[in-house]
Amino acid sequence: MKKVCLTFIAAALLLASAHAQKFMTRDANISFLSETPLEKIEAINKSGSAVLDAETGRMEWKVLIKNFIFEKKLMQEHFNENYMESHKYPNATFKGEIANIKDVNLSKDGNYTVRAKGKMTIHGVERDIEVPGKITVAGGKLNVMSDFKVACADYNISIPSVVRDNIAKEIAVRVEATLTPINR
Amino acid sequence: MKKRILLLAALLAAIGGAIGLYFYNQKMPSMVGQKAEMTLSAADLYAAFEADETAANARYLGKILAVEGQVREANTLPDGTVKLVLDTGKDFGVLCEFDPNTPHKRTRFEPGERLTLKGECAGLNFDVLLSRCAVVE
Repeated sequence: MKKVCLTFIAAALLLASAHAQKFMTRDANISFLSETPLEKIEAINKSGSAVLDAETGRMEWKVLIKNFIFEKKLMQEHFNENYMESHKYPNATFKGEIANIKDVNLSKDGNYTVRAKGKMTIHGVERDIEVPGKITVAGGKLNVMSDFKVACADYNISIPSVVRDNIAKEIAVRVEATLTPINR
Repeated sequence: MKKRILLLAALLAAIGGAIGLYFYNQKMPSMVGQKAEMTLSAADLYAAFEADETAANARYLGKILAVEGQVREANTLPDGTVKLVLDTGKDFGVLCEFDPNTPHKRTRFEPGERLTLKGECAGLNFDVLLSRCAVVE
């Protein structure tokens, strides 16, 4: 009986580890918008990366600052040189987890409302954040979407007084990504 | 005399404003017309980042590079953006994201073909990322 029990536990553990699926993308869209009555500034980065463990909800996101594409040359230059100092701080990252992972089953198709909690690093400044998100599980893929605000001052990004009215104090960030299973 | 000075000041302000507006509205230039600062192989570029990311960033970040290699993967995103991964002989490669401001002659590529692409080095994110790429003909 004991032997049967142990075999059962071993099989269950094996099954559980097989289900501990990790997902990733290298095509995450990270965009942002700064809107004031004077000016609208937007940029998009189509090569963000993400790795997510569907069982624990642990995840890491990374985006390279120099790959944010603006419509105007001057905006892209100012963003990199004056505000983000991308030569010193080439990336922005988020390391954290899905806070309510117990309420979601990422191995089952459906729409899930999640909260991501962890450490965001922008411009070399690390801060604890918690942001809302939505994950749609369909066809073995995770479609992730999140909208949140980032305050420039929180990350020591100083805006010169001459353009203070042109740049929003809080920047609206949107993350859209399709994560696919990592083949093992 | 005073009137003349005022007129001249107004004229200078108008010229200054027009120049400012011109620079302000200037679009991101196409990669085609830009000169590569360095030419190297995808394997050498990736090896530099793998060995010492900080040193490689200091050397290559923000520079326009011409990178030669063999296509490992070719993908087109739903919005039409082309991404090629050049092989480096390692798990990760050199990811080239095509320039949205360049009318590309070719948008379909096959794994295995050899190419040289020009783009701005954006750093390491699994792969080494080349931003705003165009094929060097």
